[in-house]
Order: sequence, then C-alpha cells, then structure tokens
Amino acid sequence: QQVIKLTAAAGHPPTFLWVKTIEDTFIPELDKRLAAGGNKYKVEWTRAWGGTLVKLGSESKGIADGVADMGIVSTIFEAPKFPLQNVSYYTPFGTEDMELVSRTVADLQRTMPAMADAWTKNNLVYLGGMSLDTYHIWTKFPLTKLEDLQGKKISAPGPSANWIRGTGAVAVAGNLNTYYEDIKSGVSDGALTFVTGAWGAKLHEVAPYITKVNIGSQFAGGIAMNKTRFDRLPPEVQAAIRGAADAWTAQYAKAQAAAAATLMQNMLQAGAKVSELSEPERKRWADALSPVGKTWAADAQGKGLPGSEVLNAYSAALVKAGTKMPRDWTK
Amino acid sequence: MGEAPREAAAVHDSYDRALPFGMHRVFGAMNVLGTLWILALMVLINLDVFGRNLLAAPVRGVTEMVSLSIVGIVFLQLADTLRTGRFTRADILLDRLKRTRPALGDALQALFHLVGLALMVVILLASWAPLAEAVRIREYVGAVGDFQAPVWPVRLITLAGLCATALCFALLAGMDIRRMLRRREAAA
Amino acid sequence: MSSVTIALGSLVLMLVLIYAGLHVAITLGLLSFIGVWLIRGDAGVAANLLAQAVSDAIASHIFGVVPLFVLTGFLVARADVGKDAFEVANQAFRRIRGGLGVATVAANAVFAAITGISIASAAVFSRVAVPQMLRFGYQPKFAVGVVAGSSVLGMLIPPSLLMILYGFLSEQSVGDLFTAGIVPGLLLAFAFSVAIVLMAWGRPSLVYRNGEVQPIADEALMPVGEMLRKMVPIVLLIGMVLGGIYAGFFTATEAGAVGALLALVIAVLRRKLTWRSFWEVLTETGHVTVAVSFLIICASIYTRMLAMSGTPQALVEWMAAAGLGVAAFLLLYVLLILLLGTIIDSSSIMLIVLPLMLPIAQQFGLNLIWFGVITVVAVEVGLLTPPFGLSVYVIKSTLGKTVDISLGDIFRGTAPFTLTMLVVLGLLLVFPQLSLVLLK
Ligand code: NA
Ligand code: NA
Repeated sequence: QQVIKLTAAAGHPPTFLWVKTIEDTFIPELDKRLAAGGNKYKVEWTRAWGGTLVKLGSESKGIADGVADMGIVSTIFEAPKFPLQNVSYYTPFGTEDMELVSRTVADLQRTMPAMADAWTKNNLVYLGGMSLDTYHIWTKFPLTKLEDLQGKKISAPGPSANWIRGTGAVAVAGNLNTYYEDIKSGVSDGALTFVTGAWGAKLHEVAPYITKVNIGSQFAGGIAMNKTRFDRLPPEVQAAIRGAADAWTAQYAKAQAAAAATLMQNMLQAGAKVSELSEPERKRWADALSPVGKTWAADAQGKGLPGSEVLNAYSAALVKAGTKMPRDWTK
Repeated sequence: MGEAPREAAAVHDSYDRALPFGMHRVFGAMNVLGTLWILALMVLINLDVFGRNLLAAPVRGVTEMVSLSIVGIVFLQLADTLRTGRFTRADILLDRLKRTRPALGDALQALFHLVGLALMVVILLASWAPLAEAVRIREYVGAVGDFQAPVWPVRLITLAGLCATALCFALLAGMDIRRMLRRREAAA
Repeated sequence: MSSVTIALGSLVLMLVLIYAGLHVAITLGLLSFIGVWLIRGDAGVAANLLAQAVSDAIASHIFGVVPLFVLTGFLVARADVGKDAFEVANQAFRRIRGGLGVATVAANAVFAAITGISIASAAVFSRVAVPQMLRFGYQPKFAVGVVAGSSVLGMLIPPSLLMILYGFLSEQSVGDLFTAGIVPGLLLAFAFSVAIVLMAWGRPSLVYRNGEVQPIADEALMPVGEMLRKMVPIVLLIGMVLGGIYAGFFTATEAGAVGALLALVIAVLRRKLTWRSFWEVLTETGHVTVAVSFLIICASIYTRMLAMSGTPQALVEWMAAAGLGVAAFLLLYVLLILLLGTIIDSSSIMLIVLPLMLPIAQQFGLNLIWFGVITVVAVEVGLLTPPFGLSVYVIKSTLGKTVDISLGDIFRGTAPFTLTMLVVLGLLLVFPQLSLVLLK
C-alpha cells in the first residue's frame, strides 16, 4: 500500500459548510473510493482550516505554491485572479437557486477557455464549485419600499457596494466579522449578506428586520488542487479525487440550502422580523442601480478577457432555466 | 566612517550609529516616508469618520487602504528600525559576553546579523514572483465598479524594504567583524 | 524525521536561540523556514510561505490601526496628560500601598472599553503609566508587570475581537458573550488590584525600588482644584473617544485614529509639542509599530509551520478521541490552550482548537457562553507567557531606550499577574455563575 501525504487548507473555519463538508464528505468519500479500488493507496491528511496555514485571499497562491496541496479557493476574495468567476456579483437580482448558479458557472468553465484558464494558469486543478445562498438585507429599521433606504448606511463591501449605490443609501465597508459591531455601534444601519453568513455573525441581534430581497445566490469559489501535485498522482487516485469532489459539490449544495432554510427559521424564532420585498419594489431597486453588468464586462474586455461573452452566456443560462430577471444586465 | 580604534573597547554593538557609505541616511529617508504615511492614515480615517457622520459621505476604500498601508509602512521602516537596534531580542547572554568576552560577543552579533541577512535574502528571492504577478494581472484591492487601488506599489515597497533590511544586516555584520578585529589588535 | 519531531525540535531551538540573543522575529522566521523545508523537502515551498506571510499576515484593517494607538499613547505621554493624571492618582491613592499599580489597572479597565485588541493597551500604557510609576519610586519590573497583566483586560471587557471570533466558531450570540465578559473582566481587574496591594504589603521589595513607599509630604499635596484641573484633559480625551464609540460615530478600530487626533489637538493646545518633538514622536511610533508588526509577521510564519506539521491538530485530535470525563476534559482543554499559548498567537489558537473541542463541550452539555469566557481568558494568558508573549514584546519595543529593562525581567515582573490570571481562570471554571450572572 502506498501512502500519499496531502495537506488540505482553507481560509475559513469549519463553521462554514464548504469547509465542514471537506471533513465530512470529501475526505471520507475519497478514503472509501481508494479502499474500493483495492486499497493500493491511502491518503494521510494534514488539515489546516481557518487561515492557520493559508489566509483568505491567498488560498490560490498557497495551494499553487505547494504550501498546501489542496483546499478551498474563495474566488470572491481573489477577484483579480478570477475575474470572470465573479460574474454573478455583476448580475444581481438573479436566482436564489444555488445549484443553478454553480451548474451555470461550471458549464461556462467547461465551454469558455478563458474561464478554465484562470485555474490552470494559477497552477490549479479545479475540482468542484460552491455558491452562497441568496443575499438579503438585515436592517435596524423596517423596509417595505425603496425609499426606506434613503440616507441609510448599509454594510456592503466589495462588489456588493454596487447593489447599494443608486438606492439613496450609502455603502459602508466591512466584513462578516465587523458587521455586528458596526451595526450595533451605528457605523451602519444594516448589512447585505446571505442567511448562513448572517447567522454566524448573529446579525439578527442587532438588525432584527430581515427583508428578503433575493439579490441572488453567488458563485463563491471551489475546491482545487495543486496542478503539479495532481498531475503526478496515479490515474486511479486522480479519478478517486474527482469522484470525491463531485460528491462534495452535491453534498455541499444540499447542506447549504438546508442550512439556509433552518437558520432563517432560527432567526425568526429568536425574534427577527422577516418579510419579503414586493416584486415591484424589487424591480425599482434593480432599476435604481448603475449598469453594473456592462461596467464589469467592459473592465474585463479591457484586460483582454471575454467579459461580454461571459455576461451574456450567464444571463441567458439563468433566463433559460426560468429565472425572471427584473433587469437585463447585458444592456 | 566608523569609529576611532581607541573607542572600540567601549563600543559593544553596531546599533544607532553611522553606517558605511552613508546608508543610514537612505534608511532614514525611507523611515521618514513611513512616518508621513502613518500621519496620512490618521488623517484618512478621520476624514472617513467625519465625512460619514457629518456629510453622509464616507471615504470609500479606507479599509482597503489601511490594510495595504500597514504593510508598506512596516517595510519602509524596517531597515531603520533594525539600524537603531529596535528589533526585540533577549540581551542576557550578549550583555554578559560584552563584559567578559567582548570579542566573542562581537563575533556572535556578527553571526546573528548574517543569519538575519540570509533570512531576508530568502524572503526577497521569493517575493519577486508575486510582484511580477501583481503587475501582470493588474492586481487590485476593492472591486470593479467600486473603489479600486493597485497592489503593486506596496509589493514594490515591500521588496525595497527587504533589500534595505538585508543590506542593513550585512553592514551591521561588517561593523561587528571590524570591531572584533580592532579589539584583537588592541589586545595584541 | 516526522513532522512532530520537527515541530518539537524547533521549539527547543527557539528557546536556545532566543536566549542566545538572536532577534526574536529572526528566530521565528529562521526556524519556520528550516521546519517547512524539512517537512516538505522543498526549500522553495518554505521560501514562498515566508514571502506570503510577509504580504498577508498583517494586511488587515485591525493591524493597520496599531500605529495610531501607539501614536495616541506617545502623544498622551508627550502632552503630560498622563503625567498629570498619575500625579492626581498618586495623591488620591496615597493611603493604598501600590496605589499607582491599582490606578493603572483601573485605567486599563476603562481603556479596555475603547479597544478590542490587547496590544493597543500594552503600547499605550507602556509609555503613559510606566515612566510615571518609576517617577514615584516603583520597581521597573513591577511597573511593566502591571501594564502587561492588565493589557489582557482589553479582550475580556467588550468590545473584544476574540469574543467575536469565538461567537463565529461556536454560533453563540456575540452580545451574550460581550455581556458574559464584563464580570470576569472586572473580577480580573479586582484580582490584579488585590495582588498588587498584597505584594506591596507582604513583599514591598517587589513593588518599590528601595523596598519602601515614597511618601508625599503634606505640604506637597495639591489642592482639590488643582487636582480637578489636571484631570480635565484625560477625562475629555477618554470621554470623547468612549462617547464617540457608544454614540456610533466610529468603531473601536477607528478609535485609534480619532484618539490620536484628539491627543494631538490637546498636545498642541497645551503647547507641549514643537515640530521637532512631534517628529520624534512620529519616528518613535514608526519604530515601535515596525518592531511589533515584524514580530507578528514572523509569529504568523511560525504558526503556519506548526499547522503544516500537523502537531497542534494531532494534539487536539488525540484529546478529542481520549474519551475523557467532563472535569478531565476541561482541565486538559485549559492546559492545552496554555501550552499552545506559550508559542502561538491568540486567534490562531482558537482557530486550531475550537472546531474539534466545541462539539465535545456541547456533548457534555456545557454552557457555550461560559466555555467562551474560559477559552478567551486561557488564550489571553499566552500574551504573558514566554517564549512568545506578545504583550511583553510590545512593552519591550514601546519602552525602547527610555527604560533599561531586559526581556527576562519583564517576563519576571509579569509572572505574579500571570499567576493571578490563572487563579481567576480557576474561579471562572469552578463558578460558571460569574460569567453568566448578567445574562437573561
Ligand atoms: Na475591549
Ligand atoms: Na505566550
């Protein structure tokens, strides 16, 4: 029996399901497959989650350099290296169907060389993707119409700032670690985020009005392996890793969707006031924003990347799957 | 350049004095830039606080700028911090050697500075690629459509700071060795 | 050579090299480089790991404001704001032995409400409190010990970055955690004060330079009016910063910048600042920030090497699998954290230990809020323990050449406070009510 030593790493701790499912699904599944394949190979794992080995934002480099062999790459925190993977952030008010988002991005990565190249150029093998549950808004104040946002400060860092500008509210920087204090102290009046993240940050304690806006599920990254290391592995081990990664992808999507539903219930029980933004108001919100899709595509084109093509294909795929987009971001 | 041989016996380390080739002025100048940068940070954050509260106009990108800045500041000032002897260390053994076996103390200091030099060179060699990459892919902090700032200037400053610190380690080691030799001469 | 051997070997070498006088940061960087090289069999990987840490270990908003907290402390000292406050405190507490020590602890408890990071407390009070305690006849070792010890209050009294991190990892309410930290924080401050007074009576040589109190002659006493006048600047400064945070104008992270600006204004108004001295303060701020930050970068490199070796993970997994009873579990858990605390920084310890320990704590039906308080206090002991005690290093850097005290003496001066912390940790373990009383 040949022992293969692998180090897995992630910038997030296992509180996040994409990390937890590596422990609970990917690793056992791989062990199972290798055992089923005649026990010729065995993987000995070293696990380093929570940024103890590679930090959030440096995951791809850590894996590419061989500091870790494989792990989670959060493309949302590495936009300069994975510009096209972030298309969903520039087509807001899309779908709440995480599976659809993951599948669409996976298809694009298969069909568009520029998207697949982002991984190989960084000496990575992409094994499977993950999406975040749809973004909603947590506020200190009730929100039923767009005007309620007027003059408010909303925590919305990075690309999500584009979902605030134009609404009359001001986007304030921050991250899941700072939202709680920011809102509690009054630095902001609310935050745009997703249910599973909001639960971790306990946002409902300080911003009890949860308005379901459904800004859309977002592609967040995936599981990847150092390419040099992967290419040197025996083919049956490679196949087992790919199989385990597929199992991870499916299990993560299922677990994340279930968690989003449960945690929303938990927040409701903890006293949060949950409501849904009406469809006309949702459209008004989308219409108030600048043409973020076009801006993004132009930026990518400027760097010699097929931004428009990816934007068009992504939007078309969502619409084809039955998503009613309140605004066409390709225009 | 350097101290008179007569003083050598009293001098126990190479810190906080003029460096060969006037390099202390170069490191000092880098230090000044870092100092001004700290002041700029103070102004920037206060602008954001006041803008946000009084004019409902936060300064976008402060968080990102602060995160990037601290790295730039540290590496701009690293060489001068080393030169002035502010790198934290335990002095118990070195202090005893200074009293009892000064030449051995000099030799040990030289060795330590050479180790520091080696470590800086290692980091330097591994820092070229990320700089080149940052330039090539036009790496930025922030987001498209929102605040964006390029990363390469800070990577470049880091590299320059590492170079300066490596050089500083080398010069300090040279001064240690020269002091040790002078001590030998004086004893002979 | 197994990874565990490499990790343990590096630990022994660390003690040797630090004692021999190699710069602490260089020691950590060097051992990590060799360690990763041996673990991975590839020097290139090791070099890349170092370079990566150089660019991302301190690249955060939270570290970014450290120089501003340092600057605040230096300006408060330069403007004689600290001096005046300590003159008043010295007179007000003159009937209590070790009075200025108690005053420093109390001031730290107030400052803890301003900042969520302990190194900010350590940096500010090294320059504000230590010279004043020396001026009034206290032992240098004692003065730095008080500052190091009470710097840990910053993480217990809200706001606290470690509590927020724990809240994330454990899915507990951050608000409840903050509330739960208040009584233990005040208890710790009280325990420090008791320890100071006991030392001052029982072993005055530990507290006073000549082994005895420096008395104040009656004719030298300030009238009440003068005392009030001397307190105005410090009360204004702290009041405005605290008020600003609680009114929602800025966060505890931004408080460093606002505090520095206010201190600057006060220094200018009091005509205590020339261009030249302002420049000196800024340069000094830079040197302290850099020494501390570079240390943090290298400590992060060392943590990554340890994570790569899998040693801490193996320890935690071994504990998880040991099938312990609840008392043994808690005891071993605290010991494990204290052990890791000697070499690893606070948040890394929590990230390494909690994912495996929380489910066990849950199985035992332990209250996770209380468990969080225990965790944070145990983790914070690590700020004070050698070889890598961050608060002690911050104090050493901040004092620079103003006070001649060796690293070893700072650790020795801190020891009584470390012991006090362990006693309080024991109390918190035995009486969960201390943490939970304010909840519900
Ligand atoms: Na605090
Ligand atoms: Na320690």
